[in-house]
Amino acid sequence: MQVLEELEKLHARADYVFALAGNPNVGKSTIFGRITGLGVMTANYPGMTVELNLALTEFEGRRLGIVDLPGTYALGAVSEDQLVARRGVLQGKPDVVIVILDANNLARNLYLLLQFLDLGFPVVAALNLVDQAEKSGIHTDVGLLSEYLGVPVVPTVGVRGDGLNQLMAQAVEVAELKEEYPVIPFSYAMDIETRLRRLARRIQGEMKDLPYGISPRALAILLLEEDREFVEWMQGREEGRKILEYARRLASEIEGEHGEKAPVILARERHGIAGSIAEGVQVRQEYRKPLLGERLWEYTTSFRTGLPILVLALGAVFGALFWGGGELASLFSRFWENLVSNPLGRLLDSALGANLLSRTILWGVDGLGAVLEIALPYLLVFYVILAVMEDSGYLNAVAFLTDRLMHRLGLHGRAIIPMITAVGCNVPAVMGTRVLSTRRERVIACALIVLVPCSARVAVIMGGVARFVGWPYALLLFAVLLLLVVGAGLLLNHVLPGESAGLVMEMFPFRAPSLANIARKTWLRIRDFLYIAAPLIVAGSVALGLLYESGWIEHLVGPLRPLTEWWLGIPAVAGLALVLGFLRKELALALLVVLAARVIPGVTESSTLLDFMTRGQIFTFVLVCSIYIPCVATLAVLWRELGPRDSLLVAASTVVLALLLGGLSHLVVALL
Amino acid sequence: MPGLAREGEVRDMEDRSAGMLTEKMEEYLEALFKLGREESALTPTRLAEYMKVTPPTALDMLRRLEKEGYIRYQGPGTGKGRGVGSGKAKRIIVLTPKGERVARTLIRRHRLSERFLTDMLGLDWESAHREACRLEHVISPEVEEKLSKVLGNPETCPHGYPIPDENGNMAEEEIKPLCDFCPDEKGCIARVEEEEPQLLQYLASLGVMPDVDVEVTEVAPFGGPLLVRIGDAQYALGREVAAKIWTRKGPGRGRGRGKGPGPRRGHAGR
Repeated sequence: MQVLEELEKLHARADYVFALAGNPNVGKSTIFGRITGLGVMTANYPGMTVELNLALTEFEGRRLGIVDLPGTYALGAVSEDQLVARRGVLQGKPDVVIVILDANNLARNLYLLLQFLDLGFPVVAALNLVDQAEKSGIHTDVGLLSEYLGVPVVPTVGVRGDGLNQLMAQAVEVAELKEEYPVIPFSYAMDIETRLRRLARRIQGEMKDLPYGISPRALAILLLEEDREFVEWMQGREEGRKILEYARRLASEIEGEHGEKAPVILARERHGIAGSIAEGVQVRQEYRKPLLGERLWEYTTSFRTGLPILVLALGAVFGALFWGGGELASLFSRFWENLVSNPLGRLLDSALGANLLSRTILWGVDGLGAVLEIALPYLLVFYVILAVMEDSGYLNAVAFLTDRLMHRLGLHGRAIIPMITAVGCNVPAVMGTRVLSTRRERVIACALIVLVPCSARVAVIMGGVARFVGWPYALLLFAVLLLLVVGAGLLLNHVLPGESAGLVMEMFPFRAPSLANIARKTWLRIRDFLYIAAPLIVAGSVALGLLYESGWIEHLVGPLRPLTEWWLGIPAVAGLALVLGFLRKELALALLVVLAARVIPGVTESSTLLDFMTRGQIFTFVLVCSIYIPCVATLAVLWRELGPRDSLLVAASTVVLALLLGGLSHLVVALL
Repeated sequence: MPGLAREGEVRDMEDRSAGMLTEKMEEYLEALFKLGREESALTPTRLAEYMKVTPPTALDMLRRLEKEGYIRYQGPGTGKGRGVGSGKAKRIIVLTPKGERVARTLIRRHRLSERFLTDMLGLDWESAHREACRLEHVISPEVEEKLSKVLGNPETCPHGYPIPDENGNMAEEEIKPLCDFCPDEKGCIARVEEEEPQLLQYLASLGVMPDVDVEVTEVAPFGGPLLVRIGDAQYALGREVAAKIWTRKGPGRGRGRGKGPGPRRGHAGR
């Protein structure tokens, strides 16, 4: 969606528009979820992956548009999330910016609020997590804070919804009574303030219209900060270039006096002001017992105890996946068969008769069933666990513990999150690579993700190798895949130009996750999967059904013969199952039997794999199946995230890799 | 020991003008000197990383420098000099006195040029650094002496790094990178390397800037990240980020009243 369009639409439909801003991990998304519910629109700036969430809601008879800015520490142009947050607020022109502050870390949180005041926006502050702060001995004088800042401050506990009504009422009041709530800029140190005002005066005198309609003072600050976006804007105008030159002179004067670059000095100023305000309004109890969350947190981040905990936690996750996912799967499949697929099949048969059309439609219905029976149950369990780990803060500890390993693979600790997600399904994992800041990291992460076996491929490995060849061989196959992921990472890190960005990640003690937020996150992720993957899987199934029911499929066997029989040493029909596995990977085994029944004499649909393949052949087949391009849905998201060139490159290399290893496996099998 | 063989024969920078050292070789010596002060064991890989070249290129240059007697390339601990490029054990690079002399002179010329460019010509820091990278190779000892005089024999460059005197002696400030900290060690940020302005500004917005107190609470083994406490916040910093943050002992000098990062001049704002 185009952001500008969406923002305009929001303005047209709402009485007031509020922007929601805050540092990461301050409970902003919980508050956003609480005040808006599930009707969320996401919008992207072209070329940027960080999203803006927009929603329309109602409060006391007024329609309110809410723009949820990405969580950031500042509003500079140094990172994508900051740039998106800034553009969102400058283009969104909200009537009020609601800044959510973490009462546990007020000083650093105030920094962002001061930047909104710099930009000249009316601000209402929500002092969130006050309950947790009180528990850890930090008391905040809310009235005094409001007086110091010159903006209304409302204490809130987002998880419980405390204070959110007052917050919204306050924001509406500020929006309605603009004259009573003027934006008062705070002042910098005298020498800097004087230069700022001189620059602002010159801007006011010489420039007619300013970018995004910001105030001359705001522009002056941004120019002294050498902000890339605004410097570029000024360079594009004749009067702008002169002012820019003046700004540079002022900046170097500041630099000469303070011995640091002007942007750093301005940041220092804001930190200083934020720090003294926080100091002035908060009382701390110095000696106190560490909270349970804090002690637990120390155990998980310390290496000696953290690594065993990580292993246990991962074990528990996989256990829950197999057990919980399995239970859900059988539940869903019973529901689907009894209520949908069987009645629908009978209905189609009676309406259309058993012909090509009705059978093809049934393949499509069956594809939808597969989404429900195979993908969805595991994803559901997985996403709930993921949301709990995210919201409690444990994922940060995992990222910290694994940073070193991931670094060798050209990534950093934060990439562990999409990598774990990939075990459920590659599609959301590829989308999850957006948390990574550089394109290099995103390419590497995507390349590794497609090698991580998802639930469909795990099903094939279990149903093929574990069942017919033996457990040790299934484990061997998993080990091969693990080695491939590590090897590919090492190789890509070596080959791709550039180096991995360093890890800079805020760590915070454990917090009790909120049920509502977990449900919301899980739903949004499942929705993404359903929107993107499900239609492709159904379309793939229909295509597959058409090929099969019409009998064209048999003509495809011949051309594949050299590759399958000679190179991989598996029956030609198995090659066909591999190719079609691109459309539905979890069906690869079932397809194999069904196709073999048509092509190989003596094989029926009730035969087992061992009737027409050796154990070695089964191993080779499953190995190739689990390495080459995961599925059509994954390829589609890869395309969307990486563009045609890199996505095809990743896909092609997995095919080559699969064939190489398949050939190798054939050789080894032949020798044994 | 090829490195020691001709040491002592060469005393002066005059050899340089005789065409023995190319600009590239000088840059390598300078880099080796800077890296040698920061890290205990200097390897070709690290050098190649720093110079942004491939390891074979760096190794090639190291061979040349060793042949000319500017460096020694030896196994750690053994102290035995060996030829470049043989054996697989990690070996470290050491500047010979001759090499060190060249490096110190270059650094002096670089930093004097920076002072000149910023103080006299009014260039900004970044352009001054770029220009000085070129100037340092063409300044003669005579110009160097005059330059220092005109500038009033400055002790530091605009970035705050010490300028070696004409004999190559440098005022030592006891600073070390954050990545060398042990758990529970405290310090104060002295400077953040400026090669990546993006990172510098990002860290500054988080409050990671000079004169701010830091405490390392946990260090992951095998070169993993560090847990760092700054004000009320904790951050996980990758080793390579922590290597760019230089610290000195003791609490910050001009801290504000806040526990968080304060203004350098201790002023309170509104």
